[in-house]
Formats: sequence, C-alpha cells, structure tokens
Amino acid sequence: MTVKECYEIMKGDYDDVISRLRTDDRVKKFLSKVLSDPSFSQLCNALESKNIEEAFRAAHTLKGVCKNLSLTNLAYSASNLTEALRGRQDYGDDIEPLFKKVKKDYALTMACIQML
Amino acid sequence: MTSKKRILIVDDSEMNRALLEDMLSDEYEILEAENGMRAVAILREHELDISLVLLDIVMPVMDGFETLAMMNKQGWISHIPVIMISAETASTYMDRAYGLGAVDYISRPFDERTVRHRVNSNVILGESRRELSLRLTEQVYEKEKDNRLMIEILSHIVEFRNGESGLHVLHVHAITELILQALMKKTDKYDLSPNDVTLICNASALHDVGKITIPSEILNKPGRLTPEEFEIMKSHTVEGAKILDDIPARGNEPLIKVAYQICRWHHERYDGRGYPDGLIGEQIPIAAQVVALADVYDALTSKRVYKPPFTPEKAVEMITNNECGVFNPLLMECLKDVAETLKKELTLLSLGNSAEKEIQKTVAHTLKTGGVADVPNRTIRLLEHERMKNKILSDITRDIIFEFSASPEIIKLSEWAADYLGMPLAILNPRESEFGKKMFKPRDFDKLLQALKNTTPEHTGVTEKFMLEIKGVKTWCKVVGGSMWSDTEPPEYEGAVCKIVDINDETEEMKILEEKANLDSRTGLLNHEAAKEQITQRMEKSNGRNYALIFFDLDNFKQANDVYGHRFGDEVLEYIADTIRKNIRSSDIAARMGGDEFIVFMGYKGNVEPLIKRIFASLTGEFKGFPIKVSMGVALHDSSITEYNTLFEMADKAAYSIKRSGKNSYRFYDDSLKNVVTDRD
Repeated sequence: MTVKECYEIMKGDYDDVISRLRTDDRVKKFLSKVLSDPSFSQLCNALESKNIEEAFRAAHTLKGVCKNLSLTNLAYSASNLTEALRGRQDYGDDIEPLFKKVKKDYALTMACIQML
Repeated sequence: MTSKKRILIVDDSEMNRALLEDMLSDEYEILEAENGMRAVAILREHELDISLVLLDIVMPVMDGFETLAMMNKQGWISHIPVIMISAETASTYMDRAYGLGAVDYISRPFDERTVRHRVNSNVILGESRRELSLRLTEQVYEKEKDNRLMIEILSHIVEFRNGESGLHVLHVHAITELILQALMKKTDKYDLSPNDVTLICNASALHDVGKITIPSEILNKPGRLTPEEFEIMKSHTVEGAKILDDIPARGNEPLIKVAYQICRWHHERYDGRGYPDGLIGEQIPIAAQVVALADVYDALTSKRVYKPPFTPEKAVEMITNNECGVFNPLLMECLKDVAETLKKELTLLSLGNSAEKEIQKTVAHTLKTGGVADVPNRTIRLLEHERMKNKILSDITRDIIFEFSASPEIIKLSEWAADYLGMPLAILNPRESEFGKKMFKPRDFDKLLQALKNTTPEHTGVTEKFMLEIKGVKTWCKVVGGSMWSDTEPPEYEGAVCKIVDINDETEEMKILEEKANLDSRTGLLNHEAAKEQITQRMEKSNGRNYALIFFDLDNFKQANDVYGHRFGDEVLEYIADTIRKNIRSSDIAARMGGDEFIVFMGYKGNVEPLIKRIFASLTGEFKGFPIKVSMGVALHDSSITEYNTLFEMADKAAYSIKRSGKNSYRFYDDSLKNVVTDRD
C-alpha cells in the first residue's frame, strides 16, 4: 500500500501533507510515530478520571499531531472534542459522543498506519 | 567544527518536536524541552549560545505564555528570538504572544518551507542584533577603558613625583565610588545619575594634578613646611584647576568641568575654613566634597613617611570627630555606611593589578574576535588614540618619550621630544645616529637595547641610569622602559617604549645627603664635616699626645679633568684615597674635603718629619701615566690650639705657601706664615 492509498482509506489529505513535508519517506516516518504517541491514551485516562484540564491538553495535542500529518478525519473529531473541553470545569453529557467519535476515528487511523 | 547554531524546541508533543527537528537539523543543532520549566532550565544554562526558541503555547507544568514571562523577567527575551508554534490561531493568543516579546508565529500544521524560512530569517536577525549590541558595548567599553587608563597614567605621574605608591589614585577612585553610591541611596538632593558617578570617579584621579607645578624640594620635603612653603604647596589646587582650564577648546567637556571642581576645591572645608576660596557648605561642589573625604580617608589609612597607617575604624572615628577637617555630615554618614565594604575593597586593590590584567585579557580577546571587516577602522582609531595619549603625556611631563622597534631598528620620538632635541620624529638606524651615538654614549645605547631585549613578556620593565648629553649638556638621566612582545606563540620581541627622565637634580641631592652621612661618595674617606667633628673630639682629649694635621691638594688636578675627562679625574681621586689609606694607621683620620683637597690627622711620637716625608713620597709619582704632585702643609697641635679651625688654617697656610713657591713639596707651619692670606680667605 502506498502512502497515498493509506491516506485515502483513513480519510486524510495526502496532497496537503506532501506539500508541507515534501517526501513520502518523511510522512511515513512520522506516521509510524503516531503509533507510539501517548496523547490518545492520556486522553482516555484523563476522561476516565474526569480530569477535564488534562483531557483538554491531551485532546489538543492529539489534534496537533493529526494536523501535522493531515490526518483530517481524526483531526476534525479531536478538534471538536478539544473545543468542547476548552475552559470547562466539569464533565458533561456532550463529551461522551465526541469522545466516542475520536475513539472510532483513532482506531481506523491506527489500523491503516499499521498496514503501511 | 561545531559552528551550527543552536535552536531550542519547546513542545510537549514528542511528535511535534521530532517533526521540527527533522526539518531543521541539517542546518541547526537542536535542543528539546517538553515543557516551559525544562526550557527555562536549558536557557539558564545555554543562554548565550541559543540562537532561537520555537515555543508551543499549550503545555503542561509551564505553558508558553508563562515561559515568555519568565524570559522577560530574566532579560533573555531581548537577545533570544522566540517563534510561537501552535495550532491556536485565535488572534487574542497571537496578540498576547507578541505583547510578551515573541517575534513571529508559526501555526500548525507545519509547512517545511515556512518553518525553515521563518527560523532562518529570525536567526539571522537575532544574530545581527546581538552582534550590533556586542560591538556597541565593546566600543563603549574601549572608550571608557582608554579614558580611565589615560587619566590614571596622568595621575600616576603626579604620584611618582610625589614619592607615593600609585595606589592612592586607585584608592580614591574606589572610595569616591562607594561614597557616591551610598549618597545616591540616601538622597536625591544632588541629582546624581550613574553617569555622573562614573564621571566624578574618573575625574577624582586628577585631584592632585596641580602638584606637578610644585617644586620637588617642597613637594618631597621630609620635615614640616615653613609657612611660605605651605602657601606654595596650597597653590596646587588653583594650579591644577588652571591646567584644566587652559586645555584649549575643551572647557565644556563634562570631565574637565568636574575635574576642575575637584582640583580647585578638594581642600575646602564644610565650615568654610579650607582653601583656596573658603567656600562654605554646599557652595563646595559635591564632586569636590566627596573626593576630599576620600583623599583624607586614604591618607589616614595609608602609611606615610611621617606616620604609620591608622586602622579603618580609627580613620572613620577621626573623620567623624572632625579631627581631619570638617565634612558634610551626610557624607560622613555615607562613609560610615560603606566602612565595611571599603575595608574589603581597598585590601583587594592593594593585592595587585588583577583588575588591570583583566582589562588586558579582555582587550586581547576583543581584538582577536573583533571580526576581520572592521579591523582597519579599529586599528586606525586605536592608533590615533595612542598617538594622542603619548603626545599629551609627553607634553605634560616634559620627558623624552621614544618608541623603539627592533626590526628594522627605528626610533620614534614623541612630538615634544623631537622638537626639544631638534631631531626627526623617526630615526632610522638609531645606533648610527646622533641619538644613539651622541646623546647616548654608543656603549650605553647598546647596553640599553640589550637590556630591553633581555626582558621577558612577563617582566618587561627596564630602568637604567646613564649620563646623557642632551642639547650639548651632560646630565644624569634615568631611562625607564618596557619591552613589547607579539601575541604569537612563542612571543617575539618587537621593541619597547621608553621615557628619559632627567635625574641630575636628584643626583645632586643625593650627593648632599651622602655628605651629611659622613662619607665622601667618591673616595669612601670621611667627608670634611665628619672629620672635623672627630678631630675636635681628639684635640679635646689629647692628654699630652702629639697630633699633626696634614692638608694637601693636587697640583694639576684640573688638567686631569680637562684633558682626560671627569671619569679619569674620579679615578685619580680614588687612587689618592687608596694611597692615603695604605700609609696611615687605622686610628688616624683621613678625609676628602671636596674637590682635590684632602686632610690627614695623625698621632706621632718623637720626630714627626720622617712620617710626613714618607706620606708625601707615597703620594708623589704617577697614575696611569699622569704625573701626581701635591702641595702639602702640616700643622702641629699643641695645647695652645683649642679650635680645629685654627689648626686647619695653619696647615692650609703652609700648603698655600708651597703652592705659591713652586708646588710639589711640603712645609710645616711656622709663625712666619701667620699673615699669609689664602684663597680660602
């Protein structure tokens, strides 16, 4: 599977990432780093323990990582969660569906990258 | 070569850091921090070699804004450019970051071209800003250093003439500075800026510059000055001020103005009983008040010929009790405030020239790292400065200053010296010139050049005394010089700078002192004063013993001097003294009266004539082919003669009659000579 095909499956923006990072090799190198990036698991832990501030930061970081690699789909859901968490004091019902969406997109993205 | 510039990337996401590093590591060395706290730690350690910071905003522990605030607090923000990186593009975020001193803002996701371009241009901008400020600092420092150095040289000239150590100026500088700083804390009454403090401290070095006009007999008189002499001494205040006032077209320079105040009024008293103008209280400019206090404090705590040093505590006590003048009460409070610090600082200063070494090191370093492009300008500027310095120094001291370069051998005279000696400014091949062959004796000149060459870069100083012929007049001079070495490894001898000081007056003075100290410096015999004293004692306790006083002078000594030179004349005198010593007993008294006149006072038993004959014969003959002849008179002591002078006159008259009647003989005094009138009468 090429990098371009991979991006098509996980609904990323290949044209954007290649214009910024210049080479397939570099894109590949950093995609593999996403696998070990701790921000998703930090997000899960923080939400479980209802630590909103920590959750916001983790979501924010995850969004950043995704944007860097033009993982548009995951970046979009992470961004929605981030905005929902921004400046919040306590947990609300709106969080759960947003988080669910992030989890779903994250799983797809990871699966694609692992196949690369 | 690790000439890659360093960039600090601060981001909590390892991934983001890796991405940026990947884009930048071919051109930069990358340091990483995962939050603001780590970043501050790294900045603290590498402050000076970080060219740029890439800073994320949202981070745990310490976020980007807090990091910026810290960089402001530490002053780093002024020389380390910071580019914010964040996915946050809200304008309030950007405004806040710019407000805290960030220079640029890169939003995520990163675009390689954008990242490289912004990083590069900001690094270059930051570097040139840094370089500019460094160069400015350096120039300001250079100027400041030159200024201080020059003032110190000038004032040391005064001190050396004054027989002081040279530390006094440094001490007064340090004391003045501390007191002024204390004063600024206490009150804003005098409206002093840090600039004013620097100015006053620098000018303080000149406080005694007027002493250059005081004759050295008065300046260095060991005992108490007469009222007339004291009046002359006091004039150093007005004279110093006049010197500064007379500097053409410089009257408006702040340094000159302040130095004028200090010179003229540093002996005024707060109660109006000082001199020269009797100013009262705040009529005395604050600069003069402070320097006066510093001057007195240092005089009290330093050793002087007439007194041991007082302890700092005692000095403060004496000053506050108005035992050494009357000072502004506010200033005395300041003195008390800084007393402890003063004690420490002054000890440090006396420990040596560490500060000076520090300056030298810095200058050497600055010259090496000054960059190639501006070397010509800097060099010209420095040379111009040096030239001016030498000219002023030479003008003021009226010493002959010359620079010697070793290869090829050239002497460069100071303008004043060239003018005074009537020689060209640059003398090629000096060993063959009027300078090296006539002014110096050729042998002496070779000796001086050799001595300079034999110095080391660590010990550059040379002091030699020579009889020089300056403008046709032979005079004793001291040549003080220092050798100069290249900064290559190993250092090479490049030449020297020397100054010629006329010490003829000093040498004359030494002679008088030596005579006072009994011995005749030329021959090692007693001098007349001492002999007279000892002979008088013996005459008083003669107890019937017989004594003869012999007086003689050389018949043709003038010829020895005129034909063979003074040095030969001296040798003749030494030969005569030796001969006398060999032919008398140790209990006898022999003395040189001065010139070519000698006396011998000896005991005898029975007939004295054979003794006299033997001494006369031993003295007559030749020395190195020069005929020695003497005219000798002898007076015999008896109890009717009580005064040495009477006995001496008798011997003198006898010798005189020989001189008049054909010389080269001896004669005993008898009454027929009673009415002879000698030259001495």
